[in-house]
Amino acid sequence: MNPALSAIVVFAYLAALVFVALRARVARDFDDFSVARRTLPLALIFGSIAATYVGPGFSIGFVGRGFQTGFLFLCAGSAYAVQNILVGLLVAPRLRELKNCCTLGDAIGQKYGWSAQIIAGIISLGLCTGFSAVMIKAGGVVLTDTFGLPPWLSVSLIAVITTSYTAFGGLRASVITDAFHFALFAALLPIVLICAMFFHLKGGPSTFFNEAVAATSYGLKSTSPIQLAGLAVSFLLGETLIPPYANLALASRTSKVSKSGFIIAGIFSIVWFAVMTATGVTARGIVPSNTPEDHVLIELIRTLMPVGGYSLLLVALISIVLSSLDSLLNAGAIVFTEDIIKPLTSLSDRTALLIGRRATVLIAAVAAVSAIWIQSIIDGLLICYGIWAPAILPALIIGLWVRRPRPLAGILSMGVGTITALLFGFVLPASKQIPGIIPALGAALAAYLIGHRFGKIKAGA
Amino acid sequence: MQFQTVIVTVILILVVIAALLVIASGVWVATALLRAIARPKTDPNSNSRTERRMDGRQQPDDSPHPRNLHKAGRSL
Repeated sequence: MNPALSAIVVFAYLAALVFVALRARVARDFDDFSVARRTLPLALIFGSIAATYVGPGFSIGFVGRGFQTGFLFLCAGSAYAVQNILVGLLVAPRLRELKNCCTLGDAIGQKYGWSAQIIAGIISLGLCTGFSAVMIKAGGVVLTDTFGLPPWLSVSLIAVITTSYTAFGGLRASVITDAFHFALFAALLPIVLICAMFFHLKGGPSTFFNEAVAATSYGLKSTSPIQLAGLAVSFLLGETLIPPYANLALASRTSKVSKSGFIIAGIFSIVWFAVMTATGVTARGIVPSNTPEDHVLIELIRTLMPVGGYSLLLVALISIVLSSLDSLLNAGAIVFTEDIIKPLTSLSDRTALLIGRRATVLIAAVAAVSAIWIQSIIDGLLICYGIWAPAILPALIIGLWVRRPRPLAGILSMGVGTITALLFGFVLPASKQIPGIIPALGAALAAYLIGHRFGKIKAGA
Repeated sequence: MQFQTVIVTVILILVVIAALLVIASGVWVATALLRAIARPKTDPNSNSRTERRMDGRQQPDDSPHPRNLHKAGRSL
């Protein structure tokens, strides 16, 4: 690889990113910073949702799983598409119709009171910081592997670049740059598949078919039904309406745009997973069979592409990381201001905007420091998924549908869901066979029912 | 053998369609991005009005939120 050419391509990409971010303009008030004045059109909402969920896990991770287990992961991943479509049909329009609502915490606060809003805010903030740390780690790994930079410098570069445009431009800058990143990697990564299958795989589609059968059969043999069920549940619920998606649902022009954005993003996820797993299957005939899962895509690109192409694809991988990271930083800052500070004290719009910007920097700093100690990208993601669904989803979704939700039900559900998920994630390692998300979700639902049975209706409801 | 050829052909077509769909989605979003950043810079309120005119229908959020009542009060 030619480091000078790689550096030129990366700098050209950064220059284009800065231009796009500057055109997104600086947020002028907190409404602009948090929901972009609710003027985002369908294509940008879809692009931002897709760019946010296509992180390292749904690109590098899926190619690696395709390499090992064929199309098995595509079946588990279809649960993710179902989740997005269900959110689009049932939840996103209802969220968008709520008045005076910038975050999920706002929605929970309207249903269960301000104390529930603060609890939801603390959980959301922790999750956004955790996810951001994982994304910064992933971006740092790409920079370190390519340029040989020390890990602390790679991590700092990723954090500083993303924070600079997110802190000033807010949600609009995040969405506009997401669209730029999405267009880049959606155009480049399928080309890898087409080049690999038609020009580099000996035997072409016929070999592809044989490899797909062999890998999928191995995947089915090596995965137990309970593990498959756990995977499907994780895909179905783990990332449902995490703060960046909720913000997009609230920032769309109309509830119809909000609904369509999630439905199209759900359908797109299936197509994307098919392309990524097919790339992994194709790689079986091109890269050595002992290549580690997380390195299959990079190794494939290195083998197939000329130097310039390799650098361009490298930029696509950095895009994938940055597009997820900026949404998470922005969502964390909005949550901190709207759900934790605002319920406790009265803020002017100017002060709220200032706090939002400072919170963006603070979350990025904490995430960057944490990123240095993260051992595994996938494990980090799975811990975050395992906590989010039980902690927030029962209270949020039931609250949107029940006519008179009880504050005690929401608070109990969030508290019990979080504690059970943490227990299964950190204290009970022997329970790895049963994914923690299932018992934690059960406990959160049971706590909700108990709270609903014995709690009082919110004053003024 | 003939059955396998049919399956291989079908898979091939599906993979190519999937790759083209992903690229087409990228083009769609890139077009929206170009439209968004090509819009002339004006003050934020006139910007959102322009979008409303282009959208051709009334927005559900045109009524001021309680949080923005003080701003709405100034213009009323």
